[in-house]
Amino acid sequence: MKPFEIVVLSGKGGTGKTTVTSALSALSEGTAVLCDTDVDAPDLWILLEPVTEKTFVFEGMEMASVDSQKCTGCGKCRDFCRFNAISIKNGKAKVNTSFCEGCGGCELVCPENAVIMKHFKQGEYYFSKTAYGPFLHAQMKPGGENSGLLVQLLRDLAMKEAEKLDKELLIVDGPPGIACPTISSLTGADLAIMVTEPSMSGKHDLERLGQLAFSLDIPACVVINKYDLSERHSMEIEDFCRSVNLPVLGRIPFNKSIVDTLSERKIPLKEMKPQIDEIWNKLIQHRKSLQQSV
Amino acid sequence: MSKGILKIAVASGKGGTGKSCVTSSLAAFSGHLAVDADVEEPNLALLLDMKPSFLKNVEVLVPLIDEERCIDCGKCSRYCRYGAIADIGHGKPFLNPKLCHSCGVCKMVCPVSAITETPKRIGEIRRGISDQLELIEGNLDVGMINSIPVIEKAIETAETRSHLLIIDSPPGTSCPVVATLQNADLAILVTEPTPFGAADLELALQLASDLGIPGGIVINRSDIAKVNIHELGEKYNFPVLAEFPFSRAVAESYARGISPFFIDKNWQDGTKEIWEYIKKELSL
Repeated sequence: MKPFEIVVLSGKGGTGKTTVTSALSALSEGTAVLCDTDVDAPDLWILLEPVTEKTFVFEGMEMASVDSQKCTGCGKCRDFCRFNAISIKNGKAKVNTSFCEGCGGCELVCPENAVIMKHFKQGEYYFSKTAYGPFLHAQMKPGGENSGLLVQLLRDLAMKEAEKLDKELLIVDGPPGIACPTISSLTGADLAIMVTEPSMSGKHDLERLGQLAFSLDIPACVVINKYDLSERHSMEIEDFCRSVNLPVLGRIPFNKSIVDTLSERKIPLKEMKPQIDEIWNKLIQHRKSLQQSV
Repeated sequence: MSKGILKIAVASGKGGTGKSCVTSSLAAFSGHLAVDADVEEPNLALLLDMKPSFLKNVEVLVPLIDEERCIDCGKCSRYCRYGAIADIGHGKPFLNPKLCHSCGVCKMVCPVSAITETPKRIGEIRRGISDQLELIEGNLDVGMINSIPVIEKAIETAETRSHLLIIDSPPGTSCPVVATLQNADLAILVTEPTPFGAADLELALQLASDLGIPGGIVINRSDIAKVNIHELGEKYNFPVLAEFPFSRAVAESYARGISPFFIDKNWQDGTKEIWEYIKKELSL
């Protein structure tokens, strides 16, 4: 059977995505391939202690670069560029690769053939071994472009590895937010676990992420982390989940010992018990019912 | 970009470290215009107790193919680098708007001017006001991929309203953060002393140095873990400006949408310290 892909998301950052993912990784007991698609700010490696076996260069799409010998500074490329990626400095066009989307329009409008489309290193990605299973992860160069493409690439590799090893699960630690890398992480996944926290911001961002999962037709469920920091907001979140038919897998209390264990770069599995076991059991049940309904 | 407008970007690398708490505190203390550029998850209005209202749409252009005019040459499809225009060889090309990046290349290469462009909404700019404060918020519509035009429009809008902006940046270190940091005069990086906080802070510090932007660090929940942030900051010449220990009262008030500045003495004193630094650095 095709491995079941679970992606852990949050909308709002800092709610405990990576902590929950690490615990699920440990509980999967060798039945999963693991993947971190928060390629801007990857943190799961800190807890999984990966031993990297292969390192790859990520180049993304071709981007513009300017041959300053040929460039006359006419500004046609700048005027065409919709992404504000080109400026004219000291009479020469200059490309800001953080904004270049690689459309190639500047190459086409340049009367001097001074624009060349070429690959740039945007980051690295890694195939690693961990005590909990194979692990695909990456690091974008700060200010890098095309993180959505890198996310897709990582998920494809992780899925292939899971299929090859006949694993039941693919567990993905996703990025915060709701745009490009999140959409790349969600599209085609079997289930989204949305980790939230009991605050107005947490609820607001969960609502937006829930809408996104719904619009992409991805089944979703919720974990409320640090629920006892505001029981009132936890209840409001549960009411919201009920009203839109989002199952709540469980609630995890705020516990200083979880933070202490994270600080030692260890997975706080013991510290999240018994709630995390319940979440795991519900997750497995939920997966079965989803697979049966297909 | 308008000259003479000062911009302070509050960023973090890792999400959830307290960017919006710091931004709201600085805005509340100084009375300067706040900008929520975390357009995927705009939460600043909640902390400033505002209900922002619609100001304008943010739109991008998407192609519209006139089938009468199209001669089916296939150029638009060949030149589109995103695979957004499918040309199956016979019959007219077909646009997949989800893959379109609004670059305008298809329109440019069409030899018979069969492609025009039409605006598509991807988000909106909102404005919030309370007694003393004003907020400009960028808000990306759910399901839209590219947040950059919304971030740029929010900052552009704010620039027409004030000469000093306090900008709440998105998390991460890729293009959305670059969009808020690149023209900033000062970066305030908010972190927590955990291995996660430190790892992501270092990426943000690298980005700020790459862009040549000076600034300082705020350590939130400074007593929950022990990674040496001071040392990390020194490496990049970013001094630690303030430290806020974990407080359950702050966490609870945050949950209810109240900025820590309004209820906590540490935050009031710390915010003052940060502002003194900003004043000195920007010669205010």
